[in-house]
Amino acid sequence: MSELLQFFIAGLKNGAIYALLALGFTIVYASTGAINFAQGEFFMLGGMLGVWFSSLGLPLPVAVVAAIVATAAIGAAFELLAVRPLGAGDPLRVIMVTIGGSVILRQLALHLFGPDELPLPPFTEGASIKVLGAAIERQTVWIWALTLLAVLGLAFLYRKTAFGKAMRATSLQRDAARLVGVDTGRMVTYSFALAAALGALAGLAVTPLTQTVFDVGAGISVKGFAAAILGGLGNPVAAVAGGIVLGLLESMTAGYLNPLYKDAVALVVLLIVLFVKPSGIFGGGRREKV
Amino acid sequence: MNRLLRFVPAAVLTIVVAVLPLVVADRFLLKVFTFVGLNALTAVGLALLFGYAGQVSLGHAAFVGIGAYACAFCTTKLELPWLAGFAIAALLSALGGLLLSLPSLRLKGHYLAMASLGFGELMSVAFVEGSPVTGGVNGLGGIPFPAIGAFEIREPATLYWLVWGVVGLAALIAFNITSLRPGRAMRSLHGSELGAQACGVDVTGVKVRSFVLSAAFAGMSGALYASFVGFISPSVFTLSVSVNLLAMAVVGGTGSLIGPILSAAALTLLQYIDALIPGLARETAQVVQSFQADIYGLAIVLVVLFAPGGLAGLWRRRGGERP
Amino acid sequence: MTMLSVKGVTRRFGGLTAVDGVSFDVHEGTIKALIGPNGAGKSTLFNCLTGFDTPSEGSVSFEGTPLVGRSARQVVRLGVARTFQNTQLFDEMTALENVMVGAQARQGTGFVAAALRLPSAFAEERRALEDAERLLRLIGIEEWAHSLGRDLPAGIRRLVEIARALATAPKLVLLDEPAAGLNGTETRELMHALFRIRDAGVTTLIVEHDMGLVMEVSDEIVVIDRGAKIAEGPPRMIQKDPVVIAAYLGEEDVDE
Repeated sequence: MSELLQFFIAGLKNGAIYALLALGFTIVYASTGAINFAQGEFFMLGGMLGVWFSSLGLPLPVAVVAAIVATAAIGAAFELLAVRPLGAGDPLRVIMVTIGGSVILRQLALHLFGPDELPLPPFTEGASIKVLGAAIERQTVWIWALTLLAVLGLAFLYRKTAFGKAMRATSLQRDAARLVGVDTGRMVTYSFALAAALGALAGLAVTPLTQTVFDVGAGISVKGFAAAILGGLGNPVAAVAGGIVLGLLESMTAGYLNPLYKDAVALVVLLIVLFVKPSGIFGGGRREKV
Repeated sequence: MNRLLRFVPAAVLTIVVAVLPLVVADRFLLKVFTFVGLNALTAVGLALLFGYAGQVSLGHAAFVGIGAYACAFCTTKLELPWLAGFAIAALLSALGGLLLSLPSLRLKGHYLAMASLGFGELMSVAFVEGSPVTGGVNGLGGIPFPAIGAFEIREPATLYWLVWGVVGLAALIAFNITSLRPGRAMRSLHGSELGAQACGVDVTGVKVRSFVLSAAFAGMSGALYASFVGFISPSVFTLSVSVNLLAMAVVGGTGSLIGPILSAAALTLLQYIDALIPGLARETAQVVQSFQADIYGLAIVLVVLFAPGGLAGLWRRRGGERP
Repeated sequence: MTMLSVKGVTRRFGGLTAVDGVSFDVHEGTIKALIGPNGAGKSTLFNCLTGFDTPSEGSVSFEGTPLVGRSARQVVRLGVARTFQNTQLFDEMTALENVMVGAQARQGTGFVAAALRLPSAFAEERRALEDAERLLRLIGIEEWAHSLGRDLPAGIRRLVEIARALATAPKLVLLDEPAAGLNGTETRELMHALFRIRDAGVTTLIVEHDMGLVMEVSDEIVVIDRGAKIAEGPPRMIQKDPVVIAAYLGEEDVDE
């Protein structure tokens, strides 16, 4: 029983991370109709910049916040330089440019921070918490708390603030939003910045547990995307649900079947969803007008 | 006369390729050019799939890998003659292309890209975990040289001609296809899938065939690579490699075969720049090599932003005939 | 003879009914116009008639053959061609190449024959080329044959798409707002083209907003408002129909 609980906890831990990444994918997809392949790189940059700011002597909380802000800025810059010039064009070109961009960001990290794995101290030191025979690391609690905070923050942003409503308008009907005076170009930039911040948060939260390295981006991108599409692209709630479900599926597979298959779970889920029901569990998504 | 002028670039390329081993004595350099040929072969396939039909494949290294492992397994563990191994490699990777493309048919462009990515990554896992067949993380070694019947091909020059011979054959098939009805159908898919449907184009059929053919070419490249190097491991068939292959197709440009071949050559030769330019300073060569991946990434971004038709598009715009 | 028979076609999207029980016939050799205020469901109806969408209810038959449930490709091969409101030209191909794609509508993919350079493949190319050239001449745009799709002016783009649709050797052609965005001269050229199509023996169903054009070319008109048919008859009759006039009164006139 405690074994099941342990797997459950591990699944929820990874699930929270995937949820944050899936949110990042969904936010960009909602405002551009395209998939941002560099989402995983934002995750990597969060951790990397956190390590770097920390090494400059900044206290950990400051380093964490600084890393999130810096990554958000990089996300915005990325959009302005590489995505904006494409205009409202072919989503395929957006994905191509984000592929190229992700390579550039990864290489930048390699040149600046080197090829080695880099550590971050846990946000709070201390032994893991024992619950019903299972152990929960303190950092895991941080991950859950931060993810919950992010999700609630987003919900508040989208529903209660004018800014959030503008972003929703842009994602629902870009032309109509522009007519009502929403600066859709700026909204797209903000959505990239927001997605980058979420990715960075995920990266920072998990680095104390797994360490960070320059090429972690691609792998986590695929998992985050699998989670996003499992829930259903375009729907933030679905993204979070997808992330959690994927995390649980992974840990159950690793625990009860074979740990070697853990990484394959996300891939299999991705393919099954795409081939069977691309709109994901919660359906929805954009309809193409003929 | 104008019609014949179209073939000048191809003719020049053919002559240069054919004559190269007679001019280049350095064995290592010859091997480098053979590597170029291997990438050119995959590039021709990707030219069909991406440059003509407009389908993005982010997992093409997987097809190269399937071909490599199939040939390696057949010639080492099963001890089949090389030609059989080569043929099986081509067939298995073609099958892989079929298996990926069939369920992907109704997927919109970017979803197809992600499906191909998932497929590529899944194959990577399979290469690592499939120990009995693939030798796991350590890979397969002792792969014999190509052999046609009793005639073994081990000299650098002969290997070079074998590889480029296959490239030539693939390019010829691709040329035939693209200059006739299928080529137009592929380009129509790229232009407007709705429009293509309204013209009675068999969208499904074209997509699947483009995939199968490009996967087959990639598999042949993999088989030749395995026999050329003698040793393969999963680290050769990664996402990075898929991205690099795609970069060759993107830079080479749409609607062209020569463009991707030339860009495959250029990008591959960058890796071996110190062999190409003997006088090049050590440091410069090392710098170039450490920025390899950056160049690939930058190339994709720059081309997509500023020259979406790639090199071929630029060539067309300056008024030349389509190469 | 009735070429196209539309019976009770309905298309719902969740709670929204875009097409509501529309029925009408199109007779062979005529030009029939589908008019109605914007957003009245005309393009949706076109999609349902040509295999790009499936109606929630109703039936469509072409020369007695049912069309509902068939793919777009099957519909084209049966002899029904269409154009799009948002012209779907192949921009990186010449006008001639665009039309040639249509001319080869009934062929398979041809990969093997092409790869092997079989004589049949070349013969087929020659035929398609001749058909395409002939059609460009019929429509009157042969001077644009070698211009790329993306270089063509708006009016010519539409005409090329029409030529391409005709290249599929249809008996019935459905044109979705071919006059949208055209100036006076271009609209007159379109009108001449429509007459030439009719004289060539092809039946036409056209969605249009340009009333001048509609009155000039149509043999019969069907009026759709909010997804439902509200009137049907010859142009003179429709012009005076109070129901039709009322439906249009709330509409801002977007025609020049």
